Amino acid sequence: MPKRKADQAAIDDDPTPRKTRRAIRDDDEPIASSQSAAAETPSGLKSILRGTPSKLNGFNSVEATPKSLRKVLFTTPLKPVNEVVQVNEETTTAVGNDRSARRKSHCILQSHDESEDEDAEADEAIAQQILGEDASEEDDEEGSTLGEPGPTTDTPTKTGKLRGRPKGRRRERTPSPAPDLIPHELYFFQNRAGGNKTSANTLPSHVLLDHDDYFARINPYEDPHAADIERLKQLHKRSFDQWIFELEEGLNICLYGYGSKRELVMEFAEYTYRQAASQKARVIVVNGYTPGLTVRDILVAVGDLIGKGVKLPAQPAAILDLLMSKLEEFTTTPPILLIIHSLDHVNLRKGITQAMIARLVAHPSISLLATCDTPNFPLLWDVSLTRQLRFLYHDATTFQPYRVEIDVVEEVNALLGRSRRRLGGKDGVAYVLKSLPENARNLFKILVEEQLALAESFEPAATIGATNSDDNLDPDDLLGASDDEAALVEEQNTPSRRARGRGRPAKKAKAAARPIARAPAVSAMEGVEYRTLYLKAVEAFVCSSELAFRTLLKEFHDHAMVESRRDAAGTERLSVPMGREELARMVVELE
Amino acid sequence: MEYEKVYVFKPEAERPAKRRRVEPQGLQTSWQRRRQAFDQVWSVQQQAIDARLDSINSHTVDKVWQFLEQATRDGPPGRIPTGIILTGADGATGSGISKQIAERIRVGKDRRSLLSLSSSSGTNLKALLKTLILKATSRRTGSSDEDGVDDEDDELRTSRSIGPKLLNYDLQLLQDHVREHRTEQVVITFEDTEAFDSDLLSEIIELLGCWQARIPFACLFNIATSIDFLQQRLSQAAVKALAGQVFDVALSSVEVEQVCEAMFDTGKPLWIGSGLMSTMLERQHDYVISVDSFVATMKYACMSHFYANALSVFLEPDAESRDVAADHVEAVRQLDSFKTYARRLLDDHQVAVLEELLESDTALRLLVRDKVAEGRQKLSAMVQTLKVIRLVQQRLPNTPVSSMSSLYVQAMSGKLIGSPLIRSLLLTHRKTPSNIVVDLLRELMSSHTEKGTPTFSGCQELLTRLDGLIESQKHSAKPLRSEDDSQNTTLRTTVVAQKVQLSKQKSALSEQDKKYTELLGILTSGIEEIFDNNLVNPNDLVFHEIFVYDLKAPYREVFTPRPRHAIERALATPHDYLDCDCCGSGQGDEHVEATLAATQPATAVLYQLYLESGSLINASDLWQAFQAVLGDGREELEIMALFQRALAELRYLGMMKSTRTRVDHVAKVMWQGL
Repeated sequence: MPKRKADQAAIDDDPTPRKTRRAIRDDDEPIASSQSAAAETPSGLKSILRGTPSKLNGFNSVEATPKSLRKVLFTTPLKPVNEVVQVNEETTTAVGNDRSARRKSHCILQSHDESEDEDAEADEAIAQQILGEDASEEDDEEGSTLGEPGPTTDTPTKTGKLRGRPKGRRRERTPSPAPDLIPHELYFFQNRAGGNKTSANTLPSHVLLDHDDYFARINPYEDPHAADIERLKQLHKRSFDQWIFELEEGLNICLYGYGSKRELVMEFAEYTYRQAASQKARVIVVNGYTPGLTVRDILVAVGDLIGKGVKLPAQPAAILDLLMSKLEEFTTTPPILLIIHSLDHVNLRKGITQAMIARLVAHPSISLLATCDTPNFPLLWDVSLTRQLRFLYHDATTFQPYRVEIDVVEEVNALLGRSRRRLGGKDGVAYVLKSLPENARNLFKILVEEQLALAESFEPAATIGATNSDDNLDPDDLLGASDDEAALVEEQNTPSRRARGRGRPAKKAKAAARPIARAPAVSAMEGVEYRTLYLKAVEAFVCSSELAFRTLLKEFHDHAMVESRRDAAGTERLSVPMGREELARMVVELE
Repeated sequence: MEYEKVYVFKPEAERPAKRRRVEPQGLQTSWQRRRQAFDQVWSVQQQAIDARLDSINSHTVDKVWQFLEQATRDGPPGRIPTGIILTGADGATGSGISKQIAERIRVGKDRRSLLSLSSSSGTNLKALLKTLILKATSRRTGSSDEDGVDDEDDELRTSRSIGPKLLNYDLQLLQDHVREHRTEQVVITFEDTEAFDSDLLSEIIELLGCWQARIPFACLFNIATSIDFLQQRLSQAAVKALAGQVFDVALSSVEVEQVCEAMFDTGKPLWIGSGLMSTMLERQHDYVISVDSFVATMKYACMSHFYANALSVFLEPDAESRDVAADHVEAVRQLDSFKTYARRLLDDHQVAVLEELLESDTALRLLVRDKVAEGRQKLSAMVQTLKVIRLVQQRLPNTPVSSMSSLYVQAMSGKLIGSPLIRSLLLTHRKTPSNIVVDLLRELMSSHTEKGTPTFSGCQELLTRLDGLIESQKHSAKPLRSEDDSQNTTLRTTVVAQKVQLSKQKSALSEQDKKYTELLGILTSGIEEIFDNNLVNPNDLVFHEIFVYDLKAPYREVFTPRPRHAIERALATPHDYLDCDCCGSGQGDEHVEATLAATQPATAVLYQLYLESGSLINASDLWQAFQAVLGDGREELEIMALFQRALAELRYLGMMKSTRTRVDHVAKVMWQGL
């Protein structure tokens, strides 16, 4: 870290002299300044000026010798002056003449071919200086750039950016070369082959907070923007009357935008309730984010409200049919307001579910106020669903945290591939094992031992594979992707990776292409063969028949202690979804 | 409550009663009156639109109905009578025909039941049959008595339990039901025929064919492609089981035209401006949305006007009887069109009039009433003129007929006055031979008497003169031709001093032709007069703000939202939404949207770091960066909590997903602005 700081300081220092010089010029009157600029330019750079197109020549003559009448037509605006200055500061080529972002991005994308392109090289160089990566292959390619002094490689835009940025920001450290790329160019730039160099740092698991710590920290946290968020909400609340009007006219409302809209919607529910105090408003609230929510729950709730005590069929479709016929009889009563939080939540994302909701809502006696969180939610509905839903969309960005909707800790663990289930840890497994019969414990021990043995038998090979390659391989390259072999090998053994590694044909193809480097890694990720485990279990007198074996395994499956999957050859493999260290410790405990 | 799946809302009881109702203030006081006005206005229009839409396909519905009737009497033996309804590409959007037929069945006295199947009803034969039987048996025919619904069901069950126990996909159940209710015909509609699996479709048709002798089936297929395609997909046995007839349905573009015409005809108080109208039509054209949605957009335009424009209170049908609040009248004085009107009064030296308008609210109220009525009248006259244009276009040879909606858009933008369309129309008209012109004139007059389209003076006289002229020309089979007709001129080439000269020469016109030319000239100028008198630029009308609605923004935001853009913007530049002091970037800075500050919400900070990184992101480095941005003076654990929350939110929004390509990395899924 100190080294990086120093580097950054060096960069910060570099542009200062020129910066001040330019600042002075900018303050001066345009004509005078450009004259002085012309005077100041070093002779070597003057030749560029001469070589540049007539515009610049005309320029010089205007300032120096305003002789011909024709030149009077040209005023000297501020911008071209800057341009001249930029050209002066630019070392070679006429990059400065053409600063359009598109052109620039184009150049950057071609930077491998055009080694004289300043921007890309400069950025690479800066990135290298900062990150301190002395990869040998890069030296071959860009050794000359590194040799050049810092100031020349620095481009004006860069310095401009550095100038305005306060301390403590991190942007300079990432090799992000072009600030103004248009979106698809940015996409291609960030996805270019070999362009994605990330470090091999790992996040130690103790850094991540568990549930208790998380809530202990987040609950007392006071958002500095609380007042602004409140104001935003008040702004949305002003359109409550409008929403009521729209709902009354038989249209439905869909709220979208960043931030939890739960609170806002509940206040709206309160509001409608108050407004329609005379005739009792009927509001059903559906929390779309609650785990295990099905469309049946919604239908049953509506059914309960329409007719109390009516026997409802078991199938959702049948309930819906019954509801529709019931609703026909009650058209005169004020419509029921159905509020669905997070209509686009995974729980409700199935086509059939959405179709059922749409059919229910299409009835005039039911109006819907739904909120959607994801950016692409309109893709949920095809033409006929959209017709039934009759949505009016309103932007309700609230900036409120998704307090209820997301289980933050679980979500992060899933994202980073940490043990996903709460029971998952070693302690949880031990707890379950305690309640199981002796046989089951023995079987589990065999499984764990086998898995460890498998992992260990492949470790040396994996290490060799890793040392062969350097740290700058393409991100898909599983083996050499890290210079931190230990971490990598451990990760290869960790369950989550194995668990989620299903069905990646590209990987398989690659493995076939480079069998020597690949084979150990692939097999190390797989679990113990079902047959092998069974034989071992029989040998150890854990069970005598396959049926008994299956029964024991089922218990493990139920507690998510064992995962089973089929490998490419179709053989079933079983594994315990835990890291190697954890497994090792577990073996000790099971002894 | 927040962790409950579904619950019925009950307000928190401890809320003070005084906050019960928020009394509107200012211009919003008239909202209740505007609401009523809207209800009156829209209900008329809705009726007109419904009537139009029902009438569009009534002919087809009649035919289908007849077909079904005939099938019950003498259907083809051993085959299922089948109506194939060609709905066109947008068939999925409107199930109008089957809906109307269902309505007839419901109202009618016949014992007929209609069951609709869609591709989502089941993925295999068993499921499909289950759905079918369930729908048939749970539905009560329209004529059956309403009481004792549950008892009836129970009875059914018991009666069934007497016989052998049947599986719930046995068509025997349906047969029993049919016999019990003496149903004469079971009509099955396939809503989206193309979406069915072809094997499944063949299977069910074959099966229905087998039962045809016992249960009187009839099928209706909605198809969007072609009959050939349908035939190709069905097995031979299935095709043999069907005896089909084809019916055509109006296309959705026709329906849209009908809706537009219905809107124009009702003499409505509110007119939709050209900009909004063209946007709506464009969207309708580009993404074939159903007519219902189109009507909804129309309705929403109307709603927005009455909700947001306080002055729409003047559109109330009986506005003159009640007085409008003073602040509303004051608001009228701020209108641009009123200001121009005032200037015009000044220019005409009618200072006293203007003074009265400015001083007296009553005077202004009267003026608004008169001018709004006048403007509305002018607009409806203009729409009638559009019909004249279409009439002329229909009559004249080689002239394409513009659609009513496109003419309306042009007219409302004021561009139709002296437009090339009008000029070329008049030019063509001058060349038209007599037979066409007489018909045209007759039609003009009849449409004037029937539909009230505008006309010009001396119509009748002109017609008698024309008739007289043609009468005198009776011996010749050829119609009279005008002087400008190209058939009456010949091109002549002469060589003068070795140069070729082209000259047009009018062939000698007969006396009748000359007279005819003269009469035609009168007619042409008459039509021109109609156009000149009635085509107005709506924006020149006084108080057009009150009766013309042309705001595109609400329409765009409500019907074509950009949720992704909204979220990206909120995260990239939270200042836009929060309007806080801390995060606002320096004014005039070029990179306003790309600033990163510790004061921004945590998710926004993380999102911006996310934007900068490549397709794979190292979580550890991301954490380091995040910490560096937020770092000053906060506890690490607190930052970690924020970091985790931000990560979780990004994942929830679908921007990140886990990856297994590298350790502790996450994959980027969305690029901003793509």
